[in-house]
Amino acid sequence: MARALRFRFSRDERLKYLAHLDVLRLFERALKRSGLPVSYTQGFNPRQKIVFGLPMALGLTSSAEYADIEFDEDITPETFISRLNQALPDGIEVLDAVPLLKKGSIMSQITSAKYEVSFDVPQIMDPDEINGIVISFMDNEDITVMKKGKSGSKPVNIRPLIYSLSARKADGDGYVLDAFVSAGAENNLRPDLLMKALSQKTGLDLSVGSIHRRAMYASTFNEWKDPFEVAND
Amino acid sequence: MMRVKLDDTLLLQVEKPAKYIGNEWNMVKKDPESVEVRFAFAFPDDYEIGMSHLGMKILYHILNRREDTYCERVFAPWVDMERLMREKGLPLYTLETYTPISEFDIIGFTLQYEMSYTNILNMLDLGGVPVLAKDRNRSHPFVCAGGPCAVNPEPLADFIDFFVIGEGEEVIHEIIDAYKDWKGSGQDRNAFLELVAGIEGVYVPSMYEIVYYDDGTIMDIMPKSGKVPDTVRKRIVTDLDSADFPDDIIVPYIGTVHDRIMLELFRGCIRGCRFCQAGFIYRPVRERSPEKLNELARSSVEKTGYDEISLVSLSTSDYSALPEFCDNLLEFSEKERVNLSLPSLRVDNFSLGLMERASKVRKSGLTFAPEAGTQRLRDVINKGITDEDLKSSVQLAVAGGWNSVKLYFMIGLPTETMQDVEGIADLGFSLIESCRGIADKHGGRGLNITLSTSNFVPKPFTPFQWEPMDSIEVLREKQYHLKDLIRKRTRRIRYQYHDPEISHMEAVLSRGDRRLGRVIHTAWKLGARFDGWDEHFSFERWQQAFEENGLNSSFYANRRRDFSEVLPWDHIDTGVNKGFLVRECQKAYEGDLTRNCANGCSNCGASVYQAGICFRKDKNNSQGG
Ligand code: SF4
Repeated sequence: MARALRFRFSRDERLKYLAHLDVLRLFERALKRSGLPVSYTQGFNPRQKIVFGLPMALGLTSSAEYADIEFDEDITPETFISRLNQALPDGIEVLDAVPLLKKGSIMSQITSAKYEVSFDVPQIMDPDEINGIVISFMDNEDITVMKKGKSGSKPVNIRPLIYSLSARKADGDGYVLDAFVSAGAENNLRPDLLMKALSQKTGLDLSVGSIHRRAMYASTFNEWKDPFEVAND
Repeated sequence: MMRVKLDDTLLLQVEKPAKYIGNEWNMVKKDPESVEVRFAFAFPDDYEIGMSHLGMKILYHILNRREDTYCERVFAPWVDMERLMREKGLPLYTLETYTPISEFDIIGFTLQYEMSYTNILNMLDLGGVPVLAKDRNRSHPFVCAGGPCAVNPEPLADFIDFFVIGEGEEVIHEIIDAYKDWKGSGQDRNAFLELVAGIEGVYVPSMYEIVYYDDGTIMDIMPKSGKVPDTVRKRIVTDLDSADFPDDIIVPYIGTVHDRIMLELFRGCIRGCRFCQAGFIYRPVRERSPEKLNELARSSVEKTGYDEISLVSLSTSDYSALPEFCDNLLEFSEKERVNLSLPSLRVDNFSLGLMERASKVRKSGLTFAPEAGTQRLRDVINKGITDEDLKSSVQLAVAGGWNSVKLYFMIGLPTETMQDVEGIADLGFSLIESCRGIADKHGGRGLNITLSTSNFVPKPFTPFQWEPMDSIEVLREKQYHLKDLIRKRTRRIRYQYHDPEISHMEAVLSRGDRRLGRVIHTAWKLGARFDGWDEHFSFERWQQAFEENGLNSSFYANRRRDFSEVLPWDHIDTGVNKGFLVRECQKAYEGDLTRNCANGCSNCGASVYQAGICFRKDKNNSQGG
């Protein structure tokens, strides 16, 4: 039983065409339908007290999204999961939840994420050869690309934001890039920007397919930790 | 059964792909194989507009309550999506099951706005359905249309198999039943059309012949056989409480224009403003009971998760039980953290208090609709509102902390002179003047006013249906004159106005005859679609379409009709009789006001429906007639 919970949810192919704001709105309405006693902020325009770990870009599927939520009454993770899932549309599902002893802070805790990016190249290539190219891409000390921000594009060196990369053959056609990169409010590296850089610097003529987020982490003392582990840090 | 396959190469290339995937909360899921009738409800505009439309929600709900029918939705794909679909050879599909619309039994379009007509042709074509009704055979769906613009169905007669005139809730069941009978009979397409032509409120255009004089006016409208009626009378629902109204409406993923619960307090309007088509074609006024509305509000919030309810009606203040109803509703909405939005409320002490309580959001803007700038012209249009009313309303609002006010007007109204146009600016100036001291006293900032003018478009079934519309040049001249006047005097007033070219085309299509089918067809072939959107509308394209067909657009828009002329919609009967409209038109020229239905009956004819306000007990006079 707790007044606040951290939960993990997934989003599959069916709802990946929603933009981040649409996902927020979807949760807001699902929570209202669920009848769960969600807490609201005070003031002119009361909002539900729910915070998400990372924004979900349009097109992204994920098996590891996190959010913190507060309630007016104590609630068990089991009740929360089953009631919210009943009110959520097919394509988004709450998988897991843990109690939070204090106010949620997921947004400031998340610092990295793992992605699986499916891609293809125009000619058939040995996966090992592609992986070799990817690894030598990592040998660059400077990978500067133009990053779009609020005030126009500016050059950014994204190399320090890449922790590991490797390529392999996909189950079906094409290939998969496993990427472990910096994420979060401070230094977010979007996988589409990474793929653009990879394409530009290596000369691989990549066509990017689906992008899946399979994990996100918080870092404490140089260790990557599951967001549930640091829920009450 | 074919299903369209959607993937990233399509959906990640277009804006707002969530418009094209369906699967929203409360979307109805059925096995298409298990029903007898598949109905595609088609809205000929963008998803964000269509999903805001109450009529669609009602009919979707009603049709899907039937076990033998599956009603699905289809909207006009935005231009980026259409281009890709055509490139990839994908047909237009419904959001529920991704089935091409050509596989449906019936496709039903709703006609909310004349400028969406070309989208109808485009949607049929994109769906692989022949655009012209005469080219369809037994393998094709029937294409029907209803909604407010269907009161003059003629411009679309070439494309639509049958029209539904009036409210659809009851007649739609009769049509589905007839379809089932016909489907089992193995008879030809025409047999079904004959069957529905016998249903009150259904109009089958191919069964009527229009004869013209040399000058292009109509000599006669004749049924081709004894099997169809001379006139088709609109259908209405007499008792709104017993009519099915949805509380399990679909909740879109993306923001739409009216993204909230809509509660329909009543249908129709007691006021009878002479320019307003809705005020005549929805007669008589019928109310829903406060008990029913409160029940609907509660169950809708529960089933949708929406946090906003909007009270929708033509003139919310005229709801007879408004104070009691609002008290009850507010109690609920405050507890459940639901905002109430109250459009079309007359501003007075009561409504300002209500608005204050209803919505926790900032006091942003209030809107007023005086419609004309001078008292004389307001009397002409039967808008019973005076300068004094307006002044005191705005003063009240400013004292209550509102500091921006938007006023809606029309230019080009019958009998309008430049003096009336200038009256719009003068009204703005005098409101600024009269509120000068008030804002200071209440610690507010000064008043900001937006004056907005639309171009008056004469509509069928109004007392102004015979009137010429101002030419594009005259409308422009009036707009520029007004703009100039305001700019010279003050920066406190913003002026907004509409493109007169689009209004001109709206006027043409709304009072058009059957010959316009050729023009619409040509315009569409030249690329016309989304004509209601400035960025897609091309006047040149329409002019070319008129030229190619040897017709003249000002014949339809700018010509004064004689009271005795046969109008293209004379075989449609909305209950309000023509004699009444003539009298109203004549009274307009005299500046004579007509009382509203709550104060007394003026014998418009709508009492034939034996419903609503014509028979309300608390009326000041005894009976309708
Ligand atoms: S018959 Fe009388 S009361 Fe009824 S709608 Fe017409 S004017 Fe109003």
